Amino acid sequence: MSAISTPPLQPKKLRILVLGGTGYIGPHLVEHALSRGHTITLFNRGQTKPGLFPKVEKLIGDRDKPDGHAALKGRKWDVVYDLPTGKPKWIVDAAAVLKGNVGQYVFVSSTAAYKDFTASYPTEEFPTQVPAPIEGPEAATAQYGPRKVRCEMLVREAYQTATVVRPGLIVGPGDLTDRFTYWPVRIERGGEILAPGKLDDPAQWIDVRDLTEWMVRLGENSTGGTFNAVGPRTVCGIGELLFGIKACYSNDARFTWVPEAFLTQQKVRSWGDMPVWSFTGATTVAFCTSVIEKAKAAGLTFRTLEETVRAAMTWYHSRPAVEQEKLRAGISPEREREVLALWHAQQSGGK
Amino acid sequence: MTPLARRDFLKSAALLGGAIGLGLPTVAHGFSTDGVRVYRPETGDAQPKSLRILILGGTGFIGPYQVQYALDRKHKVTLFNRGKTNATLFPKVPRLIGDRNLPDGHDALKKGTWDVVIDNPTANPKWVRGAGEALKGRVGQYMFVSTISVFSDNSKPVDENGPLNTPSDIEATFNAQAYGSNKVRSEMEAKTQFGENVTIVRPGLIVGPGDLSDRFSYWPVRIDKGGEILAPGTPNDPVQYVDALDLSQWIVRLGESHTLGTFNATGPKTPTTIAEMLYGIKAVTTSDAKFTWVPAEFLAEKQVRAWSEMPVWVPPAGRTAGFARVICQKAYDAGLTFRPLADTAKDTLTWYHARPAAEQEKARAGLAPDKEKTVLAEWHAKSGK
Repeated sequence: MSAISTPPLQPKKLRILVLGGTGYIGPHLVEHALSRGHTITLFNRGQTKPGLFPKVEKLIGDRDKPDGHAALKGRKWDVVYDLPTGKPKWIVDAAAVLKGNVGQYVFVSSTAAYKDFTASYPTEEFPTQVPAPIEGPEAATAQYGPRKVRCEMLVREAYQTATVVRPGLIVGPGDLTDRFTYWPVRIERGGEILAPGKLDDPAQWIDVRDLTEWMVRLGENSTGGTFNAVGPRTVCGIGELLFGIKACYSNDARFTWVPEAFLTQQKVRSWGDMPVWSFTGATTVAFCTSVIEKAKAAGLTFRTLEETVRAAMTWYHSRPAVEQEKLRAGISPEREREVLALWHAQQSGGK
Repeated sequence: MTPLARRDFLKSAALLGGAIGLGLPTVAHGFSTDGVRVYRPETGDAQPKSLRILILGGTGFIGPYQVQYALDRKHKVTLFNRGKTNATLFPKVPRLIGDRNLPDGHDALKKGTWDVVIDNPTANPKWVRGAGEALKGRVGQYMFVSTISVFSDNSKPVDENGPLNTPSDIEATFNAQAYGSNKVRSEMEAKTQFGENVTIVRPGLIVGPGDLSDRFSYWPVRIDKGGEILAPGTPNDPVQYVDALDLSQWIVRLGESHTLGTFNATGPKTPTTIAEMLYGIKAVTTSDAKFTWVPAEFLAEKQVRAWSEMPVWVPPAGRTAGFARVICQKAYDAGLTFRPLADTAKDTLTWYHARPAAEQEKARAGLAPDKEKTVLAEWHAKSGK
């Protein structure tokens, strides 16, 4: 059933530097690396969750400042994980200090690096966005994807063993986007649920724990290269996701599947209103169809959907009531009711 | 149920109704989002009055769940059976011995009084008669576990008043093949013997750990194995099943509340499709399972049998259009609840993998691996997909 394959043998103890490390995916990565016996240094501003990991070495610096990376000078690490970087300048400044002092640099990029979000099944070889400039006024206004592409290039230039990880939707405990969370929350509430498109319309996500545990293994194995990193293990439809979540509950939840054309007409959008879901030709399809054979060959494994749902919801229910009530993604209950009513009216009108 | 316990029950029911109306928080009882009562006996449900419960059988598939739950709820349980099946189960529970096929097989029941008798294993109407004659006048409530196979017409959804099979002749030589007819006669005999104080429960497919029919179990085991899986019909075809634990616990609660009458008893509570079931099961595995949906007509052509080779599923058309749409609202209103499919699937897999290897290999239901491969290849060739 749940077979998380962590290599049984204790790996060589690594000295690991984590840039950031206190946001969403950082704590999961740090916790797993510590459990594997590695020595961790955190580098950040010391402002986000400063009480986390009190026993871990912390270096302070603000990467926006001219000498922001000074705290890293004169030190050596086996592996660096750069988690928060969206600014090419940060990569340049970090490299000025770290180049030659680190064995491997693991950079967390994004599926948004791909040029054409409407293209299905992107492999790592697919064309990427035109890279953003490093400095100047255009750097400041550049989009997320082009910035990530420039960062990737700079990382590959600076480090002999460069690992670029391009995750899709990262989900689970700590996810403040509420995109994945929308579905278990909605299904837990029960009743009639607006379900988008067709059962086979593509859906992808990755449990933050699967992602970070694998990233630690990439460091342990000194695996370089560029990897799409999303799940589940096999090509997945939105039906599989919603039915799988429903299996975790026992209530009167039931789905009304409304075709994409009607949703588009009603301005119910893929991803924003109907999270995780995409369809052929949508501007989100690359996020839901990434080819992950390379990552799987490099040891990416997956928890069961049930484990992801349970962990995501345990965390969700621990959040302040205000946050639980106001999800940051997904259609509002009022609008959902409205669209369902319109759909039923159209259906009965046509008969 | 004694008058006092009944009064307590009614009082608590009234309180519940009031709480709903006033929007007051309810403490002792939980509610699902749709306002239906959810039993959470482990967490503060009022302790029911201790009942003297006699369980006929009690050591097979659903019996042990009833016994355990009844013991957990502080009832005084006595078993009556041959002492042959799982004879070491529940060593502290008093056991009366008898073989219901023998002329004096029910003699052990001739003394003692019982608030509730649960008759689990009976397909032979003579057994009901034997129990009735031995127990006469000393039983508060007789609960008979029947089946939805009592219905003669599966072409449309039926509630408890659906047309029944012709009852078998109680005087004739017992024919085990006439399962549905035997159960109809047994239901009638129960009323003859125990009058008004009868509860008839008609489950559909009972699933979960302990199920030796392997019907539901085929799916979690097959999905866990992974690869391309032949999935029957269309993703929207309806299915029904009930976890043995949910069924058994509810039966005990029907005794606690002295609920009489006849109940269809399967689930889930909301209409569920085969795709929901299969993907729901997949969600508890890390398998690379991939479903290929093959239409009913093609399966029929290739002699892939519904129900036995494609368990849980029957084509929702013609004679069997209503088979997986049995109406159970009465049972839901009487407190039948359902655990999540994920729990049923996980428990089933855990139990299955703990069985002896020989049993695991010889599944009694489901499609043989070779036949599955062949039919999938033939379907791909035909459909061009």
